[in-house]
Amino acid sequence: MASISFKHVVKTYDNGVTVIPDLNLDINDKEFVVLVGPSGCGKSTTLRMIAGLESISEGDLYIGDRLVNDVAPKNRDIAMVFQSYALYPHMTVYKNMSFALELKKTPKEEIDKKVHEAARILELEPYLDRKPKALSGGQRQRVALGRAMVRDPEVFLLDEPLSNLDAKLRTEMRSQIAALHKRLQTTFVYVTHDQTEAMTMGDRICVMKEGVIQQFDIPQKLYNKPDNMFVAGFIGSPQMNFLPALVEKAGEGFMLSVDSCRVPVSVAGLADYVGKEVILGIRPEDLHIEADMVEASGHALIEARIDLAEMMGSEIYLYYQFGGQKMISRIPSKYDVKEGDRVCLAPDLEKLHIFDKDTEKAIHQTLSV
Amino acid sequence: MRETKEKRGVAFTIFVHMVLIFLAFLCLFFFYILIINSTRDHYQIQKGFSFLPGTHFMENLHNVLNDANIPVVSGIKNSLLVSVGAAVLATYFSALTAYGLYAYDFKLKKPAFIFIMLILSMPTQVSALGFVRLVEKMNMMNTLWPLFLPSIAAPAVFYFMYSYIQASLPMELVEAARMDGCSEFGTFNRIVLPIMKPAIAVQAIFTFVQTWNTYFIPALIISDNSKKTLPILIASLRSADFLKFDMGKVYMLITVAIVPIIIVYLLLSRFIVAGVTLGGVKE
Ligand SMILES: Nc1ncnc2c1ncn2[C@@H]1O[C@H](COP(=O)(O)OP(=O)(O)OP(=O)(O)O)[C@@H](O)[C@H]1O
Ligand SMILES: [Mg+2]
Repeated sequence: MASISFKHVVKTYDNGVTVIPDLNLDINDKEFVVLVGPSGCGKSTTLRMIAGLESISEGDLYIGDRLVNDVAPKNRDIAMVFQSYALYPHMTVYKNMSFALELKKTPKEEIDKKVHEAARILELEPYLDRKPKALSGGQRQRVALGRAMVRDPEVFLLDEPLSNLDAKLRTEMRSQIAALHKRLQTTFVYVTHDQTEAMTMGDRICVMKEGVIQQFDIPQKLYNKPDNMFVAGFIGSPQMNFLPALVEKAGEGFMLSVDSCRVPVSVAGLADYVGKEVILGIRPEDLHIEADMVEASGHALIEARIDLAEMMGSEIYLYYQFGGQKMISRIPSKYDVKEGDRVCLAPDLEKLHIFDKDTEKAIHQTLSV
Repeated sequence: MRETKEKRGVAFTIFVHMVLIFLAFLCLFFFYILIINSTRDHYQIQKGFSFLPGTHFMENLHNVLNDANIPVVSGIKNSLLVSVGAAVLATYFSALTAYGLYAYDFKLKKPAFIFIMLILSMPTQVSALGFVRLVEKMNMMNTLWPLFLPSIAAPAVFYFMYSYIQASLPMELVEAARMDGCSEFGTFNRIVLPIMKPAIAVQAIFTFVQTWNTYFIPALIISDNSKKTLPILIASLRSADFLKFDMGKVYMLITVAIVPIIIVYLLLSRFIVAGVTLGGVKE
């Protein structure tokens, strides 16, 4: 049992800066949780508190049922892959991996078996006798993973383990880590600021900003129902488009108007906003150029001149201005759109996001249109 | 254009080599004299300098080793014991102190550092009298202990270690060892010490040579012939009987005294290599 539970945890560094003001986070046993957020938001700090490398200023941290506030790192049974690998430079790859096991007085044959198994999985077998300095970045990264792997820890912590691998190796390692999680059946906490990693690997994703959790949920929920503008903007690439829109009453529902575009919505929560501005969020792929969608959309049309059309292969990214905002759309590449063309785009009315302008929180309860 | 540049380059290289050869000559010439003279007998030496070795090497060696008044063999043993002891203690404990001040945060960190630096600025002569009194009180007069135990506190070595550790020990390595289940002391012995090998080698050589050559403190503490270290023995040669004074023997004794230093240097210098930490963490 290795759930992790933060209860009102505060972290203030020695210089008086409070990096984590009040953290409440419950990670289940065997779960793969990804911490994402912009640089400096406290991801590493959170991870290091779990590891015991950073003290907890206030509050309680439980691993399983055990209160670990004052338990030394070596007694927590946690393996960690560091942002900087942190391989022992004077030891061979084999020694690096066997070090923890030797300290635990594991029998020699067992160590040998485990190290070789890990090396086989990570394709490190030819390098077991080398020192880290004779390895490439990707190989070092894998040694760092292997060192954690051989241990069978209760909790596995990874701090941006793939951050400086090339794209191909990163994809490969991503699936290796996912496979590792399946095999080990332990709790994984994974820090990254790459949202592709977050979306593809996490059972649940915890989005942080300035030490505060913005949303902690499964990837689909995060993408389809972001709690606030920060999450909406952070998850998804290219970014969600945000348009300031005026709310009007229109029959049973409401009408959001941005320039000439008038979008009908029926969100009960909008009643308080009539006559005020809200923020309308539309993901780039939810702006359609298909003729039938455009025809069916009535007044909810966005008409603009394309500033830039980027061919991405299967898709084209369209950059344009609307309602005083920079906008991006993703359309299938079979549509031949060029710079300077005028196009009409129809937002998918089922997939609109509406946010309070001041609190930036989502105004939910979309009843079907 | 290019040619002249190359020519100038060649001229410069030649010049640099001349200077270096000259300096090397200055350094090595006296060793040469020493070794040559240790192979000649007293009268040959008095006649003047010669580039060619003499034939009295074995004779001089025999004389040196068998002089009842100057116990050379026990002198070498004592000197070795004291110097090795000092080198080991100074490097190990200085590295430990440096690591402590580098890796841990505690309230008295700054004052501790300043205190050590203050000791560094204190010359041996100032504290010598007090030291001798202390040794007396501890009943260690005329023993070898006081000659190497104080090396545990070696501020200069500490400072060197501290600079080295700052430059070459990423804290993540220490943290990784902790996560791997290593005790704090184990982390020092198994991770930090190996990384500090080059610094330890340098300081071990320095401390060894310094202790090997030191005369002042041993002269104050050791009076028993069998406890004397080599520098005291060499000094006592000068005051030896004038009629029996043998220059060949003196040179031989000095040669004998230098050989261990050269051996130690050759043994340790292979650890002085750059880039021990290379590849451990990403830069
Ligand atoms: N030892 C320290 N003393 C004081 N402040 C610190 C210390 N370590 C980190 N901080 C601050 O705490 C904040 C969070 O740091 P942290 O390393 O957790 O960020 P992060 O989310 O991991 O960022 P990145 O994605 O860049 O790694 C930063 O503003 C940083 O400046
Ligand atoms: Mg970080």
